[in-house]
Amino acid sequence: MFCIVSFLILAVVGIFNASCRELAREAWSCVFRRVTLRPCTTGFDERMKSRILGSVINRSETAARFLSRNFELLSWTMFVLMAASTLFAARGIYLFYVTGSCSGSSEASFCLFDPKGENSKVSSAIAGCPVKPVTVKDLTLKGVNLAAFPTVKAAGKKRVVLIGCYGCQYSRKIYWDVKQLARDNDASLTFLDYPVKVKTNLMTRLALCTYQHDPEKYWQLNDRLFKAAVTDLDDPAFAGRLIAELGLDPAETNRCLNDPATEGAVSRQMDEVNKTNFFGTPTVFIDDKPFVGPKPHRVYAISMNGVLYWLH
Amino acid sequence: MDLAKIRQDFPMLQEKKGRRPITYLDNACQTLRPQSVLDAVNRYYLELSACGGRSVHRLSTEVAKECEAARAAVARFLNAHKKEEVVFTRNTTEGLNLVANCLQWQAGDVVVISGKEHNSNLLPWQLLAKKRGVKIRVVPCCADNTFDLAAFEKLLDGKVKLVSVGHSANLDGVSIPAAEVIRLAHRNGSLVMLDAAQSAPHQRLDVKKLEVDFLAFSGHKILGPSGTGVLFGKYNLLEGLSPFIAGGGTVSSSTYDGCDFLPPPEKFEGGLPDYAGIMGLGAAVAYLEKIGFDFIQKQDLLLNSFISEGIREMPRFRLIGPAEAAQRGGIVSLAVQGIDPHRIALMLDQMADIMVRSGQHCVHSWFNAHDIPGSLRASVYFYNTLEEADLFVRSLHKIDKVL
Repeated sequence: MFCIVSFLILAVVGIFNASCRELAREAWSCVFRRVTLRPCTTGFDERMKSRILGSVINRSETAARFLSRNFELLSWTMFVLMAASTLFAARGIYLFYVTGSCSGSSEASFCLFDPKGENSKVSSAIAGCPVKPVTVKDLTLKGVNLAAFPTVKAAGKKRVVLIGCYGCQYSRKIYWDVKQLARDNDASLTFLDYPVKVKTNLMTRLALCTYQHDPEKYWQLNDRLFKAAVTDLDDPAFAGRLIAELGLDPAETNRCLNDPATEGAVSRQMDEVNKTNFFGTPTVFIDDKPFVGPKPHRVYAISMNGVLYWLH
Repeated sequence: MDLAKIRQDFPMLQEKKGRRPITYLDNACQTLRPQSVLDAVNRYYLELSACGGRSVHRLSTEVAKECEAARAAVARFLNAHKKEEVVFTRNTTEGLNLVANCLQWQAGDVVVISGKEHNSNLLPWQLLAKKRGVKIRVVPCCADNTFDLAAFEKLLDGKVKLVSVGHSANLDGVSIPAAEVIRLAHRNGSLVMLDAAQSAPHQRLDVKKLEVDFLAFSGHKILGPSGTGVLFGKYNLLEGLSPFIAGGGTVSSSTYDGCDFLPPPEKFEGGLPDYAGIMGLGAAVAYLEKIGFDFIQKQDLLLNSFISEGIREMPRFRLIGPAEAAQRGGIVSLAVQGIDPHRIALMLDQMADIMVRSGQHCVHSWFNAHDIPGSLRASVYFYNTLEEADLFVRSLHKIDKVL
């Protein structure tokens, strides 16, 4: 059994270390003979055992004795552990490919392929410590009135819902990708603005007013806001420039901006967004499946079109 | 003799960066080389790289001079009558094969060998038996694995053309009573060849006194370079041998129909010799002369006795050969019960940087006859220390406890 374990380890180490390649070859020869029900003739097991014992004996004779007497059992244990860890590793790779996270959830946990957890980072929407921790499993669109939010309608049945904020770096990172994805897949796109990081109340109200008066221009405004410098997002002068740039009626728009009803509408929208139980932006729902954090394009695409998404 | 000073002559024994020096106990396989031997080898490649004696320029002349000086040194080392009795070979095996192939054999001629010969002194005779119908007689060993002189005497008769025996066995270090063997063989009219691969490093060889007809040994076992060896032959016998490897350097002239072979030793040294090796061999012999066999044998006995005593308490390890260390030269060969000796050798290397030999040491015939899978062989030389012997014994004790 030891030769199987050795082969797997040496095969990997051999990629980087030439001296291990020869050992890996020997181990393979031994493995091959074993699986074809023949005895291993290279003496690989015995040689490696002797080398290991030779090293251990200098540190502890007791440990060396234990190792010597239980070598086969320990080899089996190692094999089982290795098989299990290989399966877990394979699962992790698959989940990373499909969800952008080794654990499969959108919560930050260590992942070798995303060591800094970039794919799961969010701009937190929760201030202080919540009474009950919220997880991805709690996210839902049930009971949320999506009709209250700007939506690009499409002929297809697929639906993309993005909860983001203009001033949040992770929302800014994926906004364009999500928008393009919806367009490419003939899916409707609903944007739920939820300012969590930077004070953007003015722009939120501007967006709402624009949407109420001219939904077409709303999406142009949205694009401009996601492109704009974060420092401009609370600047009335910048808002004025946008109004002019988009050809909106300045008087009407200013009236709407200062109307307490607009403030109330924004507040109601926030309450509606909170019904999703989201805890940070960006949060994307592909149909009803939630993804938290700025996932790579393939993750959204797979969710929409399956693992072989590029064939679509 | 200052052992610490002697050890300084051997680069392999010096402490390397971050690593303790090795404990080299595989001297029966080959010895380490002193700096003087390495310098001699390097000198050829750095200063004299040329064909010795074939061209007339000064490099060629100098190489020829150096090689002949080495031949003379080896002749003195053996106390040969003259340096032309020294034929340079690649190793002991080649020397033994040379005699096996170049003596005139008749079907039914007999070769006598001992019961624990190295393959080099067994296989050439087996081949000869197949090719020429030569018979092989094997002298059995005594119970303690020593040479059975009485049994040997009984094997001698008019058909015995050659007695070819190992002077000292690489299996257990036991030497045969060479003088008596030669006396009995000569009285029978038989020639005698000694395989001196193991004896040349440990005892003074006096071919004049022994009156041995042929004697072969290797350079790599007497501090010399690998790929060098010597065949000594009485000059008149060498003259009677047919050439072995004919070619460049073996003839004075040739026509399309024939050639005139040079006298010995040249007629046996076909092709370009290993000049660097020969110069190194000359330096090795000179170094050994400087050390002296009294010191070497004193060290052999001291270290062998220490190790033999140290392993006595471990019943798992059974000594091959006589119990007295004095009879085993520099070799301690151990049959190990229930464990593959290779495993122990690997562990010794890994745990304490001790280099020993394991297996059947090219004496398969003896091991197979005794149904022993192999042995662990520690072989000491004059540069080994008591501390090293102690480390070996302590390490074996540890292994004995663990396995």
